[in-house]
Amino acid sequence: MGIIELKNVSFDYESDNTLSRGVKNLSLTIEKGSFVVLLGHNGSGKSTLAKLLNGFLLPGEGDVFINGINTKEKERIFEIRTKVGLVFQNPDNQMVASIIEDDLAFGPENLGVPRDEIIKRVDWALDAVKMSEYRSGTPYKLSGGQKQRIAIAAILAMLPEILILDEATAMLDPRGRAEVMETAKRLNKENKMTVIHITHYMDEAIDADEVIVLNDGEIAIQGSPEFVFGHPEIIKEAGLELPTATKVAGLLREKGFDIPLVLRDEELAEAVCQLR
Amino acid sequence: MSRDITFGQFYPANSFVHKMDPRAKLVLVIAYIVAVFLVKSLYSYIAIAVFLIAAVLGSRVPVKSVLKSVRGILVIVILTAILNIFFFSGGERVLFSWWKIKITVEALLFALHMALRLIFLVIGTTLLTLTTTPMNLTDGMESLMSPLKLIKVPVHDLAIIMSIALRFIPILIEEVDKIMLAQKARGADFESGGLIKRAKALLPVLIPLFISAFRRADELALALDARCYNATPKRTKYKVLKLGWRDAVGVIILAILIAAIAAVNASFWGLFGFSFGV
Repeated sequence: MGIIELKNVSFDYESDNTLSRGVKNLSLTIEKGSFVVLLGHNGSGKSTLAKLLNGFLLPGEGDVFINGINTKEKERIFEIRTKVGLVFQNPDNQMVASIIEDDLAFGPENLGVPRDEIIKRVDWALDAVKMSEYRSGTPYKLSGGQKQRIAIAAILAMLPEILILDEATAMLDPRGRAEVMETAKRLNKENKMTVIHITHYMDEAIDADEVIVLNDGEIAIQGSPEFVFGHPEIIKEAGLELPTATKVAGLLREKGFDIPLVLRDEELAEAVCQLR
Repeated sequence: MSRDITFGQFYPANSFVHKMDPRAKLVLVIAYIVAVFLVKSLYSYIAIAVFLIAAVLGSRVPVKSVLKSVRGILVIVILTAILNIFFFSGGERVLFSWWKIKITVEALLFALHMALRLIFLVIGTTLLTLTTTPMNLTDGMESLMSPLKLIKVPVHDLAIIMSIALRFIPILIEEVDKIMLAQKARGADFESGGLIKRAKALLPVLIPLFISAFRRADELALALDARCYNATPKRTKYKVLKLGWRDAVGVIILAILIAAIAAVNASFWGLFGFSFGV
């Protein structure tokens, strides 16, 4: 049994007639410690899925289990929200306090964590996102990437087992995106954190353990990055584009060059160099 | 626009007054206000002035910033003084009299008394906001109001509302800047025309601002929930306010001040045979 289990989950937004942003009959298992990237165009159900995972939304049909706890168990909702940390798109709208360390302490304070333990957690979380020197500063002068790292640290201070980045890189410049991705990958490797990264940047899916593509609330394809990006027709149908290197390799292949499936720019360069 | 507005008029320094506990400062300011209202004799203002000068020196805030607060209320002070001079009744030593207007020594002294009271009140309270960050002030108020929890006043929610408001002021200012630039790029004119025309020109700024503020509020509500807001009534505190020797010194000095004022009130009547003002 995985840390996250979805069993035949359906969810509909009642008032939304134009766009069905819900999810349909979704079954999914996510293993502890894995790095999962969830792809999908706008309105494909990505964010709905994220909100189903920490109990913001409850499935109309089916069940969501986090560590074996059903999100429908109302009295354990805070246990679930502590386990599943959700980071949103806009870092400015996630910060509560004007001082960074106060903001990090907000989650543990709400949970009634003893003060000594909060101090330890704030220290650890700031270190985990490499922002320790900004501890007593304000967030106003930070870059987008730094702010988003603080938002991640604020979630980490609650010691979650699962970190969900709900389009957390969507508003950032390339450097900020790289910072956030690097942080997420490090947390996954060093702290064995289960990370679910929701994005529409294909490049961010390359290093994932598993890629899930959502289309109209259903899983279009799921598997290793090589497997998923080896099916360009499904990616296209889901309204997405392949990573640049994969796309170029595919176009070259159409022209009769002998180039294998590649994901990274370096791999493409390597393959092109070996052409005769 | 300046981002410094977040900190209100806070003047950063590492002084005796800055290091005092915000709760102590709040209580002392309330006691100080009471003391100023207790004053019955002009001589007592000397004691208050000495106390204020000591407090300003102990805060290392430039005198100029302190006096700035007085400049703001100068019109009110002058206006009340003039009204007091003309409408004070019951004076006996007439200085000037013409038709129905009569100015007495007592009226002048009373006007002076009121003006000094206003000025001293403003300087004292300004010193609090100059030496305490809004965050500390919020913490202090929350702590002082915590007994109200017994009668089900949501003290913590109020404190969170205050700190979120403070946190979003600079963000919204930035947003106004952005929207104004965007509207200017579309040919909006905010600078010319009369008052009504200019107010109308601001409408295309205010509407997007409100929409964005509501969207932010929505996201913030989710973020608060994601961080288990209200998970337990036994919420803990990361920053603990601590009373120190400085607060004790402050309390003692203010106690002496109040005692001195009370003594002056009681004895000067007898010593000099008359009193000023009320």
